[in-house]
Amino acid sequence: MHNPQVKAIRLIEIFLLFSALALFVIGSFLGDTFFLRLATESLIFGGLAMSVDLLLGIVGLLSLGQALYFGFGAYLSALVLKEISPSFFLAIGVVTLSSIVLGWVASFIALRSKGVYFALITFGLAQVAAKVVYNTRSLGASDGMMGVPVLQIWTPFGFVDAGQPGAFFLITMLTIGALYAVLKYFLTTPMGSIWHAIRSNENRLAYVGYKAKGPKQVAFILAAVVAAVSGALYPMLRGFVSPELMFFSVSGNAVVTVVLGGVGTLIGPILGSVLLTSFKSIIGTWTVHHHIVIGLIFVVVVVSAPKGIAGLLAKYFGKTNSGKGGE
Amino acid sequence: MSDSEILLKAKSLSKRFGGLTAVDDVSFEVTRLGVTSIIGPNGAGKSTLFNLLSGTFMADSGLVELDGQNITRMSPEGRLSSGMARSFQITNLFFDLSVIDNLRIATQALEPRSNLFLPLRKSTVAINRANELLEEFGLLECRDQFAGALSHGQQRRLEIAVTLATRPKLLLLDEPTQGMSQGDTQDTAELIKRLGSKITVLLIEHDVDLVMDLSKMVIVMAQGKKLAEGMPSDVRANPLVQTAYFGEELA
Amino acid sequence: MLESLQYIYAPQIVNGLSIGVAVVLMALGLTIIFGLLDVINMSHGEFYAAGAFISVSLMAMGVSFWLCLLLVPLLLIPIGFAMERLLIQKVFHYKDRHILTLLLTFGVAMVLEDGYKIVWGANPIKPSAPISGASELLGVMFPNYRLFLMVFGALIIFSVWALIYKTQLGAIVRASAYDKDMSSSLGIPVMRVYALTFAFGVALAGLAGVLLAPIYSVFPTMGRDFILMAFSVVIVGGLGSIKGAVIAGILLTQLQSISSLFISPVWSDPLVFTVMVLVLMLKPTGLYGGMKNA
Repeated sequence: MHNPQVKAIRLIEIFLLFSALALFVIGSFLGDTFFLRLATESLIFGGLAMSVDLLLGIVGLLSLGQALYFGFGAYLSALVLKEISPSFFLAIGVVTLSSIVLGWVASFIALRSKGVYFALITFGLAQVAAKVVYNTRSLGASDGMMGVPVLQIWTPFGFVDAGQPGAFFLITMLTIGALYAVLKYFLTTPMGSIWHAIRSNENRLAYVGYKAKGPKQVAFILAAVVAAVSGALYPMLRGFVSPELMFFSVSGNAVVTVVLGGVGTLIGPILGSVLLTSFKSIIGTWTVHHHIVIGLIFVVVVVSAPKGIAGLLAKYFGKTNSGKGGE
Repeated sequence: MSDSEILLKAKSLSKRFGGLTAVDDVSFEVTRLGVTSIIGPNGAGKSTLFNLLSGTFMADSGLVELDGQNITRMSPEGRLSSGMARSFQITNLFFDLSVIDNLRIATQALEPRSNLFLPLRKSTVAINRANELLEEFGLLECRDQFAGALSHGQQRRLEIAVTLATRPKLLLLDEPTQGMSQGDTQDTAELIKRLGSKITVLLIEHDVDLVMDLSKMVIVMAQGKKLAEGMPSDVRANPLVQTAYFGEELA
Repeated sequence: MLESLQYIYAPQIVNGLSIGVAVVLMALGLTIIFGLLDVINMSHGEFYAAGAFISVSLMAMGVSFWLCLLLVPLLLIPIGFAMERLLIQKVFHYKDRHILTLLLTFGVAMVLEDGYKIVWGANPIKPSAPISGASELLGVMFPNYRLFLMVFGALIIFSVWALIYKTQLGAIVRASAYDKDMSSSLGIPVMRVYALTFAFGVALAGLAGVLLAPIYSVFPTMGRDFILMAFSVVIVGGLGSIKGAVIAGILLTQLQSISSLFISPVWSDPLVFTVMVLVLMLKPTGLYGGMKNA
């Protein structure tokens, strides 16, 4: 990690934290529901985007099917909350453990390949899973499942009503923030260095003593957990789950937000998700056809600024640096 | 020559690619310490032989033994933990990572596996070794630069440093002076000589004069077979070797 | 036994074959683009859809189906050429280019798909088959259009193969794929060849779209639905292999077709996908893959 990029990441972290807190305070004060809910949703999808970025930006694997784990987490969470007990921690706990297993199993299929093949396998896995869920009566088939109860979440400060937009926004912030912290921690470990090494030059890795398979598997499972836990928050916010959560557009949008925010930065995808969600909502008031606009923006970004917003910021910081001391 | 003197033994190694026999029944032994070199004209099979020794390819037949241990079917990372490290002809570093990161990743193998999940600063052995290498190879000033941004000479030095990270018993150097200037070549030759006094070096080189100067033992390959083996002066005088290199005219 | 062969299996086989040739056409384009250009074209399905939509509009304006077969691919060529030249080549020099071209073409797919929705609406359009009626073959009635599909498709496939392997143009394309710098120094306009190859590949997809429109009907997400099948064929056959695309295309569509006799059609896609995954796990380069110019 070099200074300009670290600066860019720091800036985005501060910006997001600040605006989130500002939104919470102002929103709660004004009794707002819409913006707080929108922000919560953008954070939830931001978590999914982080899982894509872990694989793409850090390890170098493009997954076009992270929605599989996202949807899995959402459905499982809904089931736990409806059928077992409306407990936040129970749902999160069950989802975390199950997604570790799911990720572990899926890794045996997906990690047999790299590059294009990996992208296509993950794409296919999600397509198949989505189709299966879509056609499974007991999961509500195409209608999904509704009637997820509003949670009362235990905190050291007393019970928090998840129905309160501001309160749940904070809870989501904390959850996604915790996921972010976990991923950042991994990046400070030698495992994180190995991930970067895999992305940089996988062939050399064996010659410095490591098989790529193990570290890839760790990252893959971690990404599955991050996506699933993010997904678990969805029914808590919206009260329902549907097969659309596993559709390709969800995986695709996540990839767009990663590239937009800055691949490899982990916080960039969250920024990207916030921007995309806001954007969709704004454009949505004019026309239903936001996909075309998002697609166009995406194409422009890929061609002219492939490192996204974080990349542009890093470039700016790099320039001002060299302006002072010379390279 | 007693057996404990022999560090690396290759016996009847063969490798075919489709119809082409790249390495044909090659056997030799490398004794401890000093520099042993493999030379030969283009297409002689030197690189393939190296790849068989380092585990990049698996031999079709034959045996490779390191310090008495049969490593013929071992993976490259397995061979590394047994004490064999190799460098690459085309610089094969982690170009997007900094010099210090390249070294740290290479030295991480000195730490137990569990340390992979602890913060980097806990891997003190690895960090110390990385800093050691940084100094030893004169890379202190470019510590934080991306490996891809270094000069060719610096990259080649880093390449060797990475290979030495785990203090291997046997160092396989694949054309280390490839593309280097005269000055850099000389420095590298000095470096290799110094290394040879501490560990065993097996070298592939094109620069015949360099090799003759450095090595205690030279192996000559041509068309996949071992053509000659012996001390530099003997090999130089060998008519078969001269023919292989210079054709019928000079023989 | 013979009766079931006649009345149950034969129709499925023929149906499978008629769809199979169109799938092969699409997979051919995809495998040529990957094999020769090293580009993963996620928008390939959208060009298939483009062919279908454009033909629907042209026929609505009175253009005959037969003319469409000729016109639509020709119309798609400049579009493909422009896309390759203006977009793909921009990201080609990056180290990450495989991922970047994948993302780029994926973005284009997004734009195109929504574009179709805007222009033609979200409802499926079903153009009528240009050839009606059925003929008897070995005691079973087969729709004439499907028979035509098989014959015409086979002809095109053969022509593509001949073009690439038996003509000088094909040799130029293969040379450019194999060694860009050498070809360039021999005077071949490599960049233009790349763009033309891409254009040709997507034109084939468009042709498949025209051919399959009367069977599958035309709707905005048709490209995305079909692309997994196309990629499965390409992967099973081997990226870059024409022979592989043909054989895998026929095999997989037959698998889909015959399996629909025994299992609900919902499961035929997962079945095909499972085969693809198995092939990837056991022989990652596919049946005939491994070389860029196989």
